[in-house]
Amino acid sequence: MAQLPAQTLHRDPQLFYWILIPITVVMVLTGVLRHYASVLMTTTPKKADIKAIREQRALAHGASLRTNYHVLSRKAFETRRDFLIEGFESGAYLKAPNQKGQPPANPMSDPNAMEGMMGMMKNNMAMMIPNTLIMSWINAFFSGYAIMKLPFPITIKFKSMLQAGVMTKDMDPRWMSSISWYFLCIFGLQFVYVFLLGSDNAASQIAQQMQQQQMPVGPMAPGQDPHKMFKAEAENLAVIEHYSVLDGIEERLLERIKV
Amino acid sequence: MPSLLLRPHATLSHAEALQVAQQAPEFLRKNPASYSASPFFSLFSPPESSNTWTIYENLLLACLRTGDNTTAHQCLERLVVRFGASDERVTALQGLVKEAEATNDSELEKVLKEYEEILAKDNTNVPISKRRIALLRAMGKTSESIEALVQFLDFSSTDAEAWMELADLYLSQGLYAQAIYAQEEALIIAPNAWNLHARLGEVLLMAAESGNEGNPQNYLAQSLKRFCRSIELSDDYLRGYYGLKRVTDKLLDANSKEKKSAESDEFTLPETSTIEKLNQAATKKLGDIVRKYDAKDPLWQGYDAGEVAAARTYLSESSQKVVR
Repeated sequence: MAQLPAQTLHRDPQLFYWILIPITVVMVLTGVLRHYASVLMTTTPKKADIKAIREQRALAHGASLRTNYHVLSRKAFETRRDFLIEGFESGAYLKAPNQKGQPPANPMSDPNAMEGMMGMMKNNMAMMIPNTLIMSWINAFFSGYAIMKLPFPITIKFKSMLQAGVMTKDMDPRWMSSISWYFLCIFGLQFVYVFLLGSDNAASQIAQQMQQQQMPVGPMAPGQDPHKMFKAEAENLAVIEHYSVLDGIEERLLERIKV
Repeated sequence: MPSLLLRPHATLSHAEALQVAQQAPEFLRKNPASYSASPFFSLFSPPESSNTWTIYENLLLACLRTGDNTTAHQCLERLVVRFGASDERVTALQGLVKEAEATNDSELEKVLKEYEEILAKDNTNVPISKRRIALLRAMGKTSESIEALVQFLDFSSTDAEAWMELADLYLSQGLYAQAIYAQEEALIIAPNAWNLHARLGEVLLMAAESGNEGNPQNYLAQSLKRFCRSIELSDDYLRGYYGLKRVTDKLLDANSKEKKSAESDEFTLPETSTIEKLNQAATKKLGDIVRKYDAKDPLWQGYDAGEVAAARTYLSESSQKVVR
């Protein structure tokens, strides 16, 4: 079977200057703009009031006693456990002790939660609007050309992605169109942004998407009844069977230093 | 070990603090007075990192400690320019500078008033709460300081630093049981901190020596275990071995005089032979540390000179006793 002759296309070098470079510049600039827009739009996180902090820290305190009880002697542990269990069950650490039986408020009506959601909305908007705009801009102006040839061979499957807008059946998939250059920019400009704006910039979308995926689920997820969490923690504390690292430590230490 | 400039200031000795303070003018000269947020300028100025600001803070503390108030003000000014005067940490530093410059009690009272005003507006301001507690303590109002600290710990019960401070305050008042409780709370938060284990051992030993509350035998048993744990966590910890030697000496002394007191529900003492072995091990290790430190062995120079000297004195004292 005869080797296919290498395809050569004669391109106007002007394509390079008037498509590739403008798209790149526009992408970089939107990234920078997006960064500053999100800096402007961020609202300073609202300060938690003292009761909320107390509730959260008391729960954390219980958790740390549960995990590190082994540093204490039995008596010290039991005093603390009894004290905490009593406080947890009676609701002494609750932000609002008199609402303890009630179902949690609807997150939509809670102004704090609303603010968080608004922030997320804003971020999403800041990401989506420029993307749609640029994509439609590229589609309107630059569709239908192959602008460059990748320096490495790729399989035919990439054809639909790289040559979007170029309806030529037999063209080597290495030829790529402007829209695929746009996608490459989305994924590849991250380091340019890091260089320009510092490592915690809001310009790159990839980083933001990652962030959203691993949104921290704090100890106080909204919509959860704190009293129930306290009760669960009290139960966890109650079932601990105490041992101490200090039991028999003298012999353990002697064995270790002797060796 | 990180460079002197980056180490937490409280761990520095006087000489080191002076050394740090002397580097301040040079550091101030080398770094720009303010950082621009624009990407264009950041290409031409030295990079800004979080370390820079840690260094500024350390320089500020070192300058105050050595009495170089003008340089301290320069450092503070840059921190204010960067973070704004309303930042919690910066306000605390500003207060600290005022405290350092106060010459009499009435000026300190004024600073205290300012803290209270800030706290009245925002009662969750942790750095200012801590400054207020520290200032109360410095002014000799220990009981008020304890009260404020207990209130602080009520809403922030996972702050090991605060628990340690509380333990120290109680200890200064001779309230051993309370000090031990606070110390244990700090241990719950940082279970593998060998220095906290050793510190608790020291407090327990002091409690046993004062002997006016609780069962001294009990305290001694736990103290012994705490020191053992401390050494288990950190092999060459001088304070751990020093404490171990002290407590075993004491136990052996007591053992020869009177037989073990009644059993209790707490920890029990190990066999006398084990205590003897531990004592020997501690003596040997302390001797090693002192010898290697004195011989200027480069790997053994990390110890505090005062601590080594104390160990040396104690060793020679106890060996004299044996000879006698």
